[in-house]
Amino acid sequence: MKIFFWRGVILVGLFGAWEILARQLNPVLYVPPSAAWPAVLRIARLEAFPEFPTHVVVTLWEILVAFALAIVTGLGLGFVLGLRRFLGEVYEPILSSLYAIPSVVWYPSLMLFFGLGPASKMAFGFLLGFFPIVLAVLAGIRQVDPHLITVARSMGARPFPLFWKVVLPAMIATLLAGVRAGLALSVVGVIVGEILGSREGLGSLVNYAYGLFRTPDYVALVFAIAIMVFAIDGAAGMIEARARRWSG
Amino acid sequence: MRDQIVISGVSKTFQTASGPVPALAEINLTVRRREFLTLLGPSGCGKSTLLGIIGGMVTPDGGVVEIDGMKLDRPDPKKVALVFQDPGLFPWRSALENVEFGLELQGVPKTERRRAAQRLLEPVGLKGFEAKYPRELSGGMKQRVAIARALALQSPILLMDEPFGALDEQTRLLMGEWLLKIWATTKTTVVFVTHSLQEAIVLSSRIVVMTARPGRIKALFEVELPYPRDLTAKEATELRAQLWGFIREESLQAMEGRV
Ligand SMILES: Nc1ncnc2c1ncn2[C@@H]1O[C@H](COP(=O)(O)OP(=O)(O)OP(=O)(O)O)[C@@H](O)[C@H]1O
Ligand SMILES: [Mg+2]
Repeated sequence: MKIFFWRGVILVGLFGAWEILARQLNPVLYVPPSAAWPAVLRIARLEAFPEFPTHVVVTLWEILVAFALAIVTGLGLGFVLGLRRFLGEVYEPILSSLYAIPSVVWYPSLMLFFGLGPASKMAFGFLLGFFPIVLAVLAGIRQVDPHLITVARSMGARPFPLFWKVVLPAMIATLLAGVRAGLALSVVGVIVGEILGSREGLGSLVNYAYGLFRTPDYVALVFAIAIMVFAIDGAAGMIEARARRWSG
Repeated sequence: MRDQIVISGVSKTFQTASGPVPALAEINLTVRRREFLTLLGPSGCGKSTLLGIIGGMVTPDGGVVEIDGMKLDRPDPKKVALVFQDPGLFPWRSALENVEFGLELQGVPKTERRRAAQRLLEPVGLKGFEAKYPRELSGGMKQRVAIARALALQSPILLMDEPFGALDEQTRLLMGEWLLKIWATTKTTVVFVTHSLQEAIVLSSRIVVMTARPGRIKALFEVELPYPRDLTAKEATELRAQLWGFIREESLQAMEGRV
């Protein structure tokens, strides 16, 4: 309860400061909350962008595909490299150095490959989401206490139960943290991709509103995206809690 | 047939980055059904390796180990259970769930294995601690959970590698007493590794002294004193002196080899 109270205080304080500051500045560029709120309502009533729901669906779909691909390949490659020590030692430095390159540099080539449509956004979201997942799997496997493997083996555990009942639960926290970071980055990848060039999706609306100096609409879109991200993250948090409970 | 484990001509050399390390050379030993056999020897003489070979965890380079006339080429809880110095409890499982682990692997239904695990926590003095996680247990309690987890397998042979090595002196003595009770009631064969002469004398029906690396068998003692053992009895102090004579020599050699 106390936490919610203080969160509320901080939120009100931030909005208040924003309102006061924005009123001193050029209203075309700096939108106070009092001006953003009507814009939010205009979006909700589908007045600002009649096609708004379609754009939301496009963005969510791109995120879903990007993240699903990132999970499947990230976990798959991670476990193959992590459980085969030699392969892991060969490839992990390569992955780490690729991860260190600012990912945006890949985007132009992705656009060339996949065009302006959703495919290039999915590819970029996938690329961003993939690295934290694969690296988390590798780090997680490394932190499994080998003695626990010995103990389980001595009790007759064969490779498959060994994986499900020892390796996976022992690394689950690291793995889930990586998957969640991957989700956040997949969202970033998709939206940045849309902003950098597209005709559909929330990012394209941001670009459009901004280009026409419809700054209140732009701010309202940022709110909409924030709400969407909170919802996605909340759902992810719930799934994570379940997975943790499964592992005990 | 009195001999349950027959070890013939077992040797093992580890290939390491700094060259081959001969750990065991030509071990011949038999273990009788329901005895309490203790391996004593200087550090690094291959005691853990020998236990690993008996338990099917390590493959020997030469020789064979037969349990009830059969070779074991991988761990088989129907034959052998192991307990290590580090209890190695699964931190994400409660005490009870840890004890259940082996039965779970064998596909025993949940209610049944839960009941079996519960029954085991009582004699190890952990009734009421079922729901506790390893981090909430003391060192002695953890090791008792680990032993209960091994006992749950109901293997006829229990191999214990310095199970009380990490515990303080008092806990260690109490755990020894407790283990003797368990041994008496479960009727298992125990092969036990320790560095403590006292522990060996209190617990064992036979004591094997091994040489410095590569380990061989140097001497074998039958301990015919009745349980519970009195360490101040004349026979016990004599045995201790004798054991120390053998161990001292080998430990010196092991130390010099290392310096
Ligand atoms: N997996 C391994 N790889 C390489 N060398 C090993 C391996 N396991 C054991 N050794 C070496 O073999 C020798 C015997 O080891 P072992 O652990 O069996 O000795 P120990 O008698 O149990 O020693 P301690 O009393 O210290 O526990 C040691 O020199 C050890 O370094
Ligand atoms: Mg050892």
